[in-house]
Amino acid sequence: MSGEALRSQDLRKTYVTKGAPPVQALAGVSMEVRRGERVALLGRNGAGKTTFLRIASTLLRPTSGSIQVFGVDVDREPDRVRPYIAVVPQEGKPFFHLTPREQVYTYLRARGLSREAAKARTESALQQMGLTGFADRLSITLSGGQRQRTMVATVIATEAPLLFLDEPSIGMDPFARREVWASLRGLTQRGSTILLTTHYLDEADALSDRLYIVERGRVLVTGTAEDLKRSVGGTLKVTIPGGRPHTERFASFGSCVHDGDVLTVIVHPERLGELMDLAVRSGLSATVGPVTLEEAFLRVVGRSINDD
Amino acid sequence: MTTETFRARRPFTGLVSFLWTEALVQLHEELAMATSMLVQGVLLVFVWVLNPHLIGVALVGAVIFSVFAMGQRVLNEAAYIRIDHKANDLYLAGPLTPEAYFLGMSAGILVVYIGPVLVVGVLAVVVAHLAPATVLLLAGVAATVWLCSSSIGYVFSTAFRDNRAIWAYSSLFFNIFGVLPPVFYPLGLFPTPLHPIVLLMPPSAAAALVQSSFGAAVLSGSERALAVGGLVVETSLLFAFAVYWARRTVRGS
Repeated sequence: MSGEALRSQDLRKTYVTKGAPPVQALAGVSMEVRRGERVALLGRNGAGKTTFLRIASTLLRPTSGSIQVFGVDVDREPDRVRPYIAVVPQEGKPFFHLTPREQVYTYLRARGLSREAAKARTESALQQMGLTGFADRLSITLSGGQRQRTMVATVIATEAPLLFLDEPSIGMDPFARREVWASLRGLTQRGSTILLTTHYLDEADALSDRLYIVERGRVLVTGTAEDLKRSVGGTLKVTIPGGRPHTERFASFGSCVHDGDVLTVIVHPERLGELMDLAVRSGLSATVGPVTLEEAFLRVVGRSINDD
Repeated sequence: MTTETFRARRPFTGLVSFLWTEALVQLHEELAMATSMLVQGVLLVFVWVLNPHLIGVALVGAVIFSVFAMGQRVLNEAAYIRIDHKANDLYLAGPLTPEAYFLGMSAGILVVYIGPVLVVGVLAVVVAHLAPATVLLLAGVAATVWLCSSSIGYVFSTAFRDNRAIWAYSSLFFNIFGVLPPVFYPLGLFPTPLHPIVLLMPPSAAAALVQSSFGAAVLSGSERALAVGGLVVETSLLFAFAVYWARRTVRGS
């Protein structure tokens, strides 16, 4: 029995459309997700995240390479994989003419759960997603965020061994997102495995045990969020408004990034005092904060783009 | 969990549950339900005004057209779920089998919209004085036409990427096949040289068979064979293809 929930080897996918040049969405993705892990797949729009998720969830055939879920080949035996997975599709919406309670319950029934189990899990998922107040309103009357919560509730209620979540918290308010995070943590504590994509880097930071950054169909980096943040050359960022003309003076402290006239310097803590002194002597104000995953992501992906 | 727990799903796994899901969705669409017999009602009024003696034939035709039109609902619903909601991914990346998804959706629509059709059917029995054998025949051909049109609807739904295109084509297709040929009027009023064509169209073949059983149309042996054979063969092939297609199109390429 495979110790991994998911393993892909040199997975490639090229979309061929009549009258258009072929598009290589995956250019050899090798990845493994261990049981009980929460793994985030990060990347720019069009990097290949959704393509990977669709192949892994049996909804798309790869061009070459292999991918297994719990040791079963997804491409050759999708029917054997499907009972053990659940998917929140990108931009998926619940049935507008079902209430959230009906949506979750009927979905669980369609997956083969008994009435009693479906009912109990429905109520639990609605509660976890903060939907009890809207549970009997048709989804067509709900806000976008509430509909998305319904989708997530539908899928987490399955407690499937492997969940694929394609931008699960898109459109949700910060409170709802945290409810989703808590639910997902609970699921993995109970043995499920989660592979998710997100453009919210704080979400990936807060939620994932490990992450993969993909760019143009390739894995650029893998590791923990902390690994990635450390890889940018410091753990602190100093933001200096109006500092751009003084970039040369600060370049020796660490890598410098411009955003308009604002200069951001990534620095190690031991050199912070020296840098702040220089800023004061230059008549500049400066604010200090921790390096975030977003900065690390921008640097890793940006470096890759520049290299290409 | 062990590998031993991985078992192939049985065909049509989840059919009844997804039927119930779809029926629940449709039951919340009161306006669609209220207007489901509008076209049939208008055509019945036309027939009543133009030739009241044909109202029995038209009522039988309304039953057949109604079940045929359910294929249009399947087309619109399947495309809407896939294109607008992407909810097909939610269901198909799971234990529900693709054929259960297709047939459950079709049957869910049937369950919700069959009520008014049965009322029209009872009216047809009373007005046209249909014998029990004719009633059974009507039920049989109606079920066949439903399966045929639902299969067509589901297969067509996978061909579109935009709902706007579907609205135009589906209406055109179902009206040409359901209204133009002799469904609401006797086969004898249709040009004889074109009979083989309409007897190969499921709704008009079904209507012709029922009409002939209560004396509203005369079918030769070969015409009857054409109508029965066409209906059975077309439906069998289309249903088999729809099941195959449902399985095939789960996975994009």
